[in-house]
Amino acid sequence: MKYMLLIYDNAGIRELFSGPEGKALGEEIDALMAELTASGELAGGEALADPAQTRSIRPHDGAPVVTDGPLAEAKEHFGGYLIVDCESIERATEIALRWPNARFAAMEVRPIMNAGGGQDT
Amino acid sequence: MTTPGAPDIEGLLRQLGPQVLGALARRHGQFESCEDATQEALLAAAQQWPKQGVPDHPRGWLIAVATRRLIDEIRADRSRRAREDVTGEPGERYEPQPPQHDDTLTLLFLCCHPALTPASQIALTLRAVGGLTTAEIASAFLVPEATMAQRISRAKQTIKAGGMQFELPPPDQRAERLRAVRHVLYLIFNEGYTTTAGPDLQRVELAAEAIRLTRMLHRLLPADGEITGLLALMLLTHARRRARIGPGAALIPLADQDRSLWERQEIEQGLGLVEHALTTAAIGPYQIQAAIAAVHCEAPSAGQTDWPQIVALYTLLERIAPNPVFALNRVVAVAMANGPEAGLAALAVIENDERLAGHHRVEAVRAHMLELAGDRTGAAAAYRAAARLTTSLPERRYLEARAAGM
Repeated sequence: MKYMLLIYDNAGIRELFSGPEGKALGEEIDALMAELTASGELAGGEALADPAQTRSIRPHDGAPVVTDGPLAEAKEHFGGYLIVDCESIERATEIALRWPNARFAAMEVRPIMNAGGGQDT
Repeated sequence: MTTPGAPDIEGLLRQLGPQVLGALARRHGQFESCEDATQEALLAAAQQWPKQGVPDHPRGWLIAVATRRLIDEIRADRSRRAREDVTGEPGERYEPQPPQHDDTLTLLFLCCHPALTPASQIALTLRAVGGLTTAEIASAFLVPEATMAQRISRAKQTIKAGGMQFELPPPDQRAERLRAVRHVLYLIFNEGYTTTAGPDLQRVELAAEAIRLTRMLHRLLPADGEITGLLALMLLTHARRRARIGPGAALIPLADQDRSLWERQEIEQGLGLVEHALTTAAIGPYQIQAAIAAVHCEAPSAGQTDWPQIVALYTLLERIAPNPVFALNRVVAVAMANGPEAGLAALAVIENDERLAGHHRVEAVRAHMLELAGDRTGAAAAYRAAARLTTSLPERRYLEARAAGM
């Protein structure tokens, strides 16, 4: 089963990662990525640029309208994701608990839908 | 040499792959190096044979090329002592030999070794026994090629580190190890059967590949009733493939399928195999599941299904192989045989099994029975609950459509 691990962050957390503690946090991430690569569970992931570069699209009177920047100032925003292909949601959750960001902001583990047919009986 | 461009070189290579790997591993040990060398030989053949023609003794050709690769690798990577173990072999002549059936079996046992994770067992079996490339396996499982390559390499490392030998398991472990092999083949089939959304030429058809491998295993061990049962179960399920997916990849449940689209030839084969297994071998879970699939296949229409027979088979299955999903399937059969109230009562007995917690099938089954009982409001709510829990897109669309239709 594939799961997406959604990683939330904010400016404060990114400062933490670039500050004195940043090196250790970065190494923690590298080690976990290496472990997930070696186990054959890592199936993708990306980090997102600062929310200041966001373009938001929202419907207005039935038509999409573009604005610069995120729609609302939020305490946390979506900062990136990992995709893991593993045995169970318990295993995916275990990985999320070890991702360093989980100590500072929210993370979510969500099953990825499968385009296939399911059972017919 | 035969004519250049001779047909189905790929099929020939996939058939010879496990034989070549088996011959090498039996002779030299070092499974992981033999596997790499075999892949390289298969690749060389895939490039050369279409242009130059298939050699007169393709198996000997592949073994000779793979052996040279193996020795090159040993020379490059290993100590002089390791090299001497195999010196002299590049010049050795390989006479055509009959296929070593035991080699393929030994290979299956090794690839499905219980020390490997299921994901690794599946990947290694498809590559070493199925002869698929890493890219093909990755694409079949919709993961990046690097991820699949890592699973295969980890599996080979586990085999190396564990000192697992290329040999048949001792007789007292044979039954247990064979159970693992059957389970891996079943998982491959199930992955193909439940995730394939219509014809996709880019993807290897995993269900068909699982059938091919199981057929091969059945030829090696024809007296094993559970292998026969597994093959029958696959054929009887696979026979419905064209009927189970409608336009727009919509899921069509068994009851609504156009049975004229079922593959008669596969059904006939499956029925023959079930009957043979049930009358000659010790009974087991795959045979009973195949027998249930056979009852469905023998019914001219959904309304003429022998549900009491299916209830009896599920009751037997639960007794010999307790499993909450079988129990849930039995509930459906009870509802069909004895009415929705009986089904709902049977569901109440099992629905709190923690192994079924969060399983969308519980709500889907409840919805179906409430619908049969005429409780449209209750059915709609249960269909919606099931739709929220499934991770299959066609299934979610199907369940949402049922909810909307109540």
